[in-house]
Amino acid sequence: MSGGIFYRILVIVGFVSLFHSAYSAAQHRSYLRLNELDFLGLPLDISIQAIFSLYLIVYGVLQVSGKFKEIKASAELDNKSWGTFRNIPSFYTFSHRGKAFSQFYQPPTTKSHLEEVE
Amino acid sequence: MSSKNKTENVAYNELAIRYNLSVVEYVRTSMAALSGCTAGLLGLTGLYGAAFYIFAVTSLWLMVLFKAGFKTWKNYFISRKGLLTNGFFGHLFTYILCWTFIYGMVHVY
Repeated sequence: MSGGIFYRILVIVGFVSLFHSAYSAAQHRSYLRLNELDFLGLPLDISIQAIFSLYLIVYGVLQVSGKFKEIKASAELDNKSWGTFRNIPSFYTFSHRGKAFSQFYQPPTTKSHLEEVE
Repeated sequence: MSSKNKTENVAYNELAIRYNLSVVEYVRTSMAALSGCTAGLLGLTGLYGAAFYIFAVTSLWLMVLFKAGFKTWKNYFISRKGLLTNGFFGHLFTYILCWTFIYGMVHVY
């Protein structure tokens, strides 16, 4: 998640920059008022900073908001093999009675031995 | 979980569709608020503000497509026209709210 932190910082920087340009605009406005000039539009640098920081924030938010998921229903199953679906762990047999046919098989002798195995 | 689309005969994962749309919705809401703040900051009035909104929506649409990939967006969304037009007017009100508020903060007072 180091990329996530990077984009979070990008969003914060964008907010600070946007606030700064808003403050600059307010100051420009008060400068015009004190000098009794007409408002003809903001200085170009403030406009550029505002739009740039808007894009910075939106890009950061877009990256922070999370990755898109594949909408194809089979997207998650594409890289699984057929054998994966046949694998049912609940039906595993660890103690099959066929082991009694082995020539090395030693049958349990006492009842306590039976309980121990189980 | 999955629904059959008759026309294309492709099964979609509905959960993933909804998740993607909620991500886009989140970004669009924040974009509406922020571009409203920027429009108010720039001192836009009247139709210039509306034009700025259309500009912001379109550029966000391009950014979303860029994130999904211009060639691979079909893996994530069913239609990209819907991505552009969904909630256009709903977010316009968020935009106007922020626009007028910040305009008042910066340019009037």
